[in-house]
Amino acid sequence: MKAHTLQTENIRKEYPGTLALDNVSVSFEGGKIHALLGKNGAGKSTLIKILSGTVQPTAGRILLDGREIRLRSAQDAFHQGVATVYQELSLVAGLTVAENILLGRWPKRGRSGDRQPIPKGPEIGVSPRSAGNWCQSPLSMLLDWPALWTQAQAVLDSMHVALDVHQKTGNLGVAQQQIVEIAKAMSFSPSVLMLDEPTSALAQHETENLFQLLRKLAAQGVAIVYITHRLQEVPRIADQIVVLRDGRLAGALNAPEARPEDVVRLMFGEVIRKERPRDLQAGARTVLAVRHLSRAGSFQDVSFELHEGEILGIAGMLGSGRTELLRAIFGADRFDEGEIAVAGHERDARGTTGVPARAHTLRRTSPELMKALGVAFTPEERQQQALVQCLSTRANLSMSSLGRIARRGVITRAWERSAIRGCVEQLAIHIPDLEMPVSSLSGGNQQKVVVGKWLNTKPKVILLDEPTRGIDVQAKQQVFQILWDLSRQGIGSVVVSSELEELLEVCHRVLVMKKGAITGEVRPHELSADELYVRCMGA
Amino acid sequence: MNCRRMNSTSAAWGLETMAIAYPPRTGKPLRRARVPSWLRQSVMEIVLLALCVALAFKAEGFFSPENLLNVLRNVSMQGIIAFGMTMVIIGGEIDLSVGSAVAFSGCLAAWLTGFLAGTQSGLPLPLAVALAIAASLGAGFAVGCLTGMLRTYFRVPTFISTLAWLTVLKGASELITNGFPLTPFPDWFNFLGGGYIYGIPFPAIVFVLVFVLIHLVMNHTPFGRSVYAVGGNAEAARLSGINVSRVKILVMGSVGLLAALSGVMQASQIMSGSAGTATGWELDVISAVIIGGTSLMGGAGTVWGTLIGVIFLGVLVNGMTLLNINEYWQHVVRGGLILIAVLLNLAPSERK
Repeated sequence: MKAHTLQTENIRKEYPGTLALDNVSVSFEGGKIHALLGKNGAGKSTLIKILSGTVQPTAGRILLDGREIRLRSAQDAFHQGVATVYQELSLVAGLTVAENILLGRWPKRGRSGDRQPIPKGPEIGVSPRSAGNWCQSPLSMLLDWPALWTQAQAVLDSMHVALDVHQKTGNLGVAQQQIVEIAKAMSFSPSVLMLDEPTSALAQHETENLFQLLRKLAAQGVAIVYITHRLQEVPRIADQIVVLRDGRLAGALNAPEARPEDVVRLMFGEVIRKERPRDLQAGARTVLAVRHLSRAGSFQDVSFELHEGEILGIAGMLGSGRTELLRAIFGADRFDEGEIAVAGHERDARGTTGVPARAHTLRRTSPELMKALGVAFTPEERQQQALVQCLSTRANLSMSSLGRIARRGVITRAWERSAIRGCVEQLAIHIPDLEMPVSSLSGGNQQKVVVGKWLNTKPKVILLDEPTRGIDVQAKQQVFQILWDLSRQGIGSVVVSSELEELLEVCHRVLVMKKGAITGEVRPHELSADELYVRCMGA
Repeated sequence: MNCRRMNSTSAAWGLETMAIAYPPRTGKPLRRARVPSWLRQSVMEIVLLALCVALAFKAEGFFSPENLLNVLRNVSMQGIIAFGMTMVIIGGEIDLSVGSAVAFSGCLAAWLTGFLAGTQSGLPLPLAVALAIAASLGAGFAVGCLTGMLRTYFRVPTFISTLAWLTVLKGASELITNGFPLTPFPDWFNFLGGGYIYGIPFPAIVFVLVFVLIHLVMNHTPFGRSVYAVGGNAEAARLSGINVSRVKILVMGSVGLLAALSGVMQASQIMSGSAGTATGWELDVISAVIIGGTSLMGGAGTVWGTLIGVIFLGVLVNGMTLLNINEYWQHVVRGGLILIAVLLNLAPSERK
């Protein structure tokens, strides 16, 4: 099996005002899986963009098997054997699996003898289109369906994947779509396959399947570059670890020998890890009570109570129903049965225990109503569901509290600015200009804007779905700090996360959710993250 | 990630407006960054100014108060609707029915006036006219709201439902009038469309008032700001506790109301309700909004930009008429200029 090697030599990329990559020389060898690590802004994505042809380096050379190559565009990179699978899938939902795999290179009917040979064996590449002969016969403009099925099937066979090529891609699950995406890349028979955060949308067992597939592909001699934020995956998948920091190559390690501490030190330099402060106290007053909540196919008979100032974690794997639960509580989706009680305003509170007499008990909720009752929600997909990307940071920060900012129905920019200034300072949102579009902020700062947007509504309860997803460790620590500050102000939080060690670090109490039901409750000091993983995944 | 301003006039005009931008896409920093931002952001204002200066020299009679007021009056009727259309497009929707809505409200007002003042009801004429106007405005608002409800509760795209209204309202106008103009109006009714206050055409005054009103609503009220949020990302707006249905229904209702207002004034100007009025207006109105820099993707645009777009189109038509340019050529030039204007607006954000 021929093993390919992709090398970069002193790759440098300057943007006006910043140096994104500073003389990076790395080597990705065929037959191995390389984990490319680095916090946000370390230069990972710039390197990938250069290697995938979408961005041109300022200086430096790219060598494939010792030969210098120039990648002029993404398409060019594919044809030269450097294939990239992006985080966002680029499949056409309405087309079949086969059409997607060979998108843009569909075999056409030539004259009868003109059919393309069906590729065999390990060389599964599909020759770039037989176009150009359309003038020879009108028939040659038509799709050659049988050839399409066989060629696509050949690609899947070579990956040892069982998938019906006739299926509509839109009917597949995310994991299978990802496989189609990889098959699409593999149809170019690439020397190098790069995957950008391929597991971010996958459940645990799906991740394992993906890893097996990648190992098979590596065994065929393909050099695999794997970008991830999930450090815990790295020892399970990588042969080599390549770490970038501040645009430089921080180091390369042999995965089997690398200790997690070493990797973290390479990524972040020195990190100050915060312990949960001791002064955090959950009050006795219940601010949110969920009783026997059910939604068909998502979760069943979920009950819990949240107290004033308490940080309650919900630990569960993807698909456990945790996101659906949170969305239903906030009214983003409906629930079928059960009820939700939200504490009334301070002055309504009579007793000190249980839900106060004037609590609002709800059988149906809506985001508008929950906002009015002092409940906030930061969704999992912050770019699509929480922020309006083309609007300014100011507009996003005030979006939930427009009615609150307005005086007699009128908003001025000055009032708006003064209303949001507090939370910009409190959350330490680093931003040169509030009028810049929110899309120009880093992931961590965007997350802070989402939280800040809700703090402006003066909530009593805040529901956070994966608040640390896709943000770097330092930003994560800041988000934890914010949660603790909220707790001191008496705001109750429900935090859903699949990063279980984080929950143990942050929360007072953690509920374990599995297959749509709450299966247990733990205190963080009682057990380790490993044990919690076992409880979330166990049979 | 960069979300670039296309034509925001905020800096140049000291108005509170929001950045006009397309949805974020990865892009390289703008090469033309050396052009001062105020200049880049006011392309249309400069083009309009240049056009006016050129016409002042080339077209005799252009730069006279009478002619300029004439331009203002000519653009008022469509301009009033264009401000409503700006809200609709910023809110991520479209209304293709405004032309028919104008005709319908004029015909309805005429028919109701005739009916109420007729022998059966016998109301005094002024009361009949007032009731007829109120009913027309109400009907316009209701039709718009209905479109909004179809959109939010049954997910009928407004592109389709308003296309249906375009035909329905046209047919309804023909039915009401039996194909002939109705002329029940008293002489004083002509004031709404043809009157003057201190020498300024009444429609022009309404036009300016509507501009100020919509501008304030869009920039200084929770509702207006919600329209931007809803148009920019409806799901994010919903999860921010914004009542997306209400926003969409009210936005569609507003443009319906403004089209009806325009229709009543149009009927007043020609002193009759006729099913043939305002045919094809929807395209003029949408052109003005787009020329003004509002993004068809929703979430971005300014009422000020639409004002410029409306006046630009008005000046263009007026200038070509003064220059005795053949009417067929006028259409060609107008269409071409719309394309160029949109290219000017889009170029900075679309260029890779």
